[in-house]
Amino acid sequence: MSEEHEQSDFHKEKLPEGVVLKEHSYDGIHEYDQKLPRWWLLTLYGAIIFSGLYWMVTYHYEGSKTPTERVDDRLAEIAAIRLANSIDVTDNALFWEMSESPQFVSAGEATYKSICITCHGANLEGGIGFNLVDGEWVHGAQPSSIYNTVYNGVPNTGMQAWGSQLGQKRITEVVAYVLSKNDRSVMEAAAETNP
Amino acid sequence: MSGVKQQTIEYDDKSVRWFMVASVIWSLVGLGAGVLIASQLNFWRMNFDMPWLTFGRLRPLHTNAAIFAFVGNMMFAGIYYSTQRLCRCRTASNLLTWIHFWGWQFIIVCAAITLPLGYSRGKEYAELIWPINIMVAVIWLVFAANFFWTLAKRNEKSLYVAIWFYIATIVTVTMLYVVNHLSLPTSFLHSYPIFGGVQDALVQWWYGHNAVAFFLTTPILGIMYYFIPKAANRPVYSYRLSVIHFWSLVFIYIWAGPHHLLNTALPPWLQSLGMLFSLMLWAPSWGGMLNGLLTLRGAWDKLRTDPVIKFFAAGVTFYGMATFEGPLLSIKSVNALSHYTDWTIGHVHGGTLGWNGFMAAGMFYWLAPRLWNTKLYSQNMANMHFWLGMVGILLYVASMWVSGIMQGLMLNATAEGGTVLQYPVFLDTLQAIRPMMLTRVVGGGLYLIGFFMMAFNLYKTARAGEPVNGTVQVTSAMDELAGKDRNGFHTFVNAPIVYSFLILGGCFIMIFGSGASFLAGIFITAVFTLVAIAHFEVSGAKWSDWYDQLLKHGFGFTILTIIAAAIGGAIQIIPTVTVQRASNIEGHLQIPYTPLELAGRDIYVSEGCYNCHSQMIRTMVPEVMRYGDYSRLGESIYDHPFQWGSKRTGPDLAREGGKRSDDWHFYHMLNPRDISPGSNMPSYPWLFEKQADFKALPSKIDAMRMLGVPYDMNLSPEEIQAEYDAQAVDIVDRLAEKGAYTEPDKQIVALIAYLQKLGTYEDTTKKEEEKAAEEQSELFSALPAETKPVSAN
Repeated sequence: MSEEHEQSDFHKEKLPEGVVLKEHSYDGIHEYDQKLPRWWLLTLYGAIIFSGLYWMVTYHYEGSKTPTERVDDRLAEIAAIRLANSIDVTDNALFWEMSESPQFVSAGEATYKSICITCHGANLEGGIGFNLVDGEWVHGAQPSSIYNTVYNGVPNTGMQAWGSQLGQKRITEVVAYVLSKNDRSVMEAAAETNP
Repeated sequence: MSGVKQQTIEYDDKSVRWFMVASVIWSLVGLGAGVLIASQLNFWRMNFDMPWLTFGRLRPLHTNAAIFAFVGNMMFAGIYYSTQRLCRCRTASNLLTWIHFWGWQFIIVCAAITLPLGYSRGKEYAELIWPINIMVAVIWLVFAANFFWTLAKRNEKSLYVAIWFYIATIVTVTMLYVVNHLSLPTSFLHSYPIFGGVQDALVQWWYGHNAVAFFLTTPILGIMYYFIPKAANRPVYSYRLSVIHFWSLVFIYIWAGPHHLLNTALPPWLQSLGMLFSLMLWAPSWGGMLNGLLTLRGAWDKLRTDPVIKFFAAGVTFYGMATFEGPLLSIKSVNALSHYTDWTIGHVHGGTLGWNGFMAAGMFYWLAPRLWNTKLYSQNMANMHFWLGMVGILLYVASMWVSGIMQGLMLNATAEGGTVLQYPVFLDTLQAIRPMMLTRVVGGGLYLIGFFMMAFNLYKTARAGEPVNGTVQVTSAMDELAGKDRNGFHTFVNAPIVYSFLILGGCFIMIFGSGASFLAGIFITAVFTLVAIAHFEVSGAKWSDWYDQLLKHGFGFTILTIIAAAIGGAIQIIPTVTVQRASNIEGHLQIPYTPLELAGRDIYVSEGCYNCHSQMIRTMVPEVMRYGDYSRLGESIYDHPFQWGSKRTGPDLAREGGKRSDDWHFYHMLNPRDISPGSNMPSYPWLFEKQADFKALPSKIDAMRMLGVPYDMNLSPEEIQAEYDAQAVDIVDRLAEKGAYTEPDKQIVALIAYLQKLGTYEDTTKKEEEKAAEEQSELFSALPAETKPVSAN
């Protein structure tokens, strides 16, 4: 066939040492037989050896931790850091002080606008969530109660727990922002009946 | 036989033409769907508020069309064309060929109708419903029968490397497809997969990963081995490399599936196997790339002039890129960043657009002039297609890298000494990648335009020529040659195989063993490796003789391929499926769904929510901070199908239940932007109009019970309905209190019930403690007072 003619050029080529042009051809396709590139073999063997070592270290070395142990340990560390840096969130007066700090209030406002706004409204007027400026505090009117509501959420009401996502600092800022939009005397009066 | 008879055989090239035309048409559908859904991610209005045009339903259409319709038909064209020539005989049966062709097109049409209508099994690339699954299996077996029959009739002594890859494709896809599609029908259009939870996850990704391996890679490698030497007129670079990379690829690929489930609740040993085998896969994959690219040595001058060589060279290069990126992404710590982000999407499109699409284009441009006996209508247009496609891919892949890495970094970023998330709002991370999502649309669009140009070019070429079928002269002497050496047990049971099995046996003892048996495993592996090397050094020549013998023995070759491809799956799946469910739940046991929740779950699956939402909180600190405690195996144990997901365009939903109020979900499903400004999620207004399919629930619950979900044995359809109504009315009342009005039979109610159920489980560790305490107290109370242990006082 004509294909055989077309391909005849490489039959005359001088082959480097160790390279063989196999005799047999398939539909005119020929094959060289030559050594495998060294770097390629190193990659293959390297990966196999690495795998064996990895397996040994992971499953037969006492010091290796499972993924869950590792994440549990890290979470415990984080909990410790949080505790070390924690503030007294039962101190209502402190929250009121924060509500007068422009830094706290503006930081809280930013968090409010990115998260809380969807349920409590741009002007805290409520929606899916409660109105936060009507003087009525269903889950407690004390700043520490509000903090607790945000941090731990209220199960089965739609108020989700934001503690792990936002952390103490951002939640205190949000509480400060909410307080800044409310009248202290009204809230303290409400807290008498519903702390 | 005496005397040499000459005989002219005419190849069946008509079917090749038809498969090629089908592939070109479906490529436009598949790529077009891709560009549409990419636009939907950026412009939510492109979902048009119509059920059959939403992202969740069209994304499966895109993937199925691209994989099974475009690449499927392309593969069949290439296999039928090259196999006939490599076997020097006509395809065995015209009838089977045409059943194959029309059967496959019918399947594609069925898929294109059912997927937008929301009929889905809820597993990626395995969404098609069970009657279509059966058709696929039957048509695939028709193809297999036709192929192996052709091999049996061949007028060629031995099997060329392209044929090895075709054999691997046919047998392995059969195995993968059948196992992953085992389901229990509840009606003509609906079924539940027989595996649930982690078992389903493992089987799904064993299939999903190897659909890439054995549907998108091995057949195309076979096509590469035929068409590149043909187009370049050069010998294949190295036969030895073909042998090594074929067997290592077939053996190793199967094991790598669990790399789709890294850092999840999947047992760690499986995760490690997935990662390690992915790393080991790097070299075998690059073996294919080397053999493709180095075959072009001596023909590089054609790269400037011949669009076919351009497409092949670029296609193989993209293959090399994707198979380097794959092992990289399989490293657990890299995967912690990349998984669930666009990086994965970029990776897979580097493979599909670059490798599959370009190899297809190269093959079509080479085939068309030969199949229609003319010249290509326009070389310039083909070159233009190449550059458009190239720019398109680079834009696509680069934007997805940036997007994936950026979103991954943002999602995992912490602040204040690692104690809080830096970006607690998921939407912020979505807004950050918007420009990249737009670049992707542009890249994909350019690529699609290139394919339209190809379709036009091929059409004009076909119109200019006449269909022509290739012929070959064979002599009857070849029959004799072909018949010789084919029998013989020794061709496939001999030293290399025995050594391979002994070494593998040693490795398995090492994997599963601990202590003494682990050391014994290492010892056996090492000893037999050394013995094999020594034996090889002494009798090296014989081994290559042995392999030449095997190549004359199609049956033996096929059996060995099946074994090589089956081992990995067997080692991973059998222990997971046979292990008692109860001992594999990590202390959390899922509470079975109520009828209403089950109806809601079926809506979730049918709308394709899993395409954007995962239900798997990985064992990573930022995930736990964002979504809650990491997921345990037992929490999805009754999920048929599992819904762990593979991409988070939206947040994880594993612990969504109870987080938000019913009316939050109500308004959010009606228009997500009312609640989450800037969201790209489609609106689902029809859920508020359509009735949930509660009539099917008795048969669905029956099926679930058969699959091992502990529903009450004596639940009557009336009781199911009553339970459904009670829970639905409860939700409707709660919604009404908030001013959100709907009726109990609407789909939205069932969906809300399901969403609120997510993440609920029974804490079995507590239960066991209580049980133990109870037993103890019973024991003590039975004892006389004076003998009670002190601690009991």
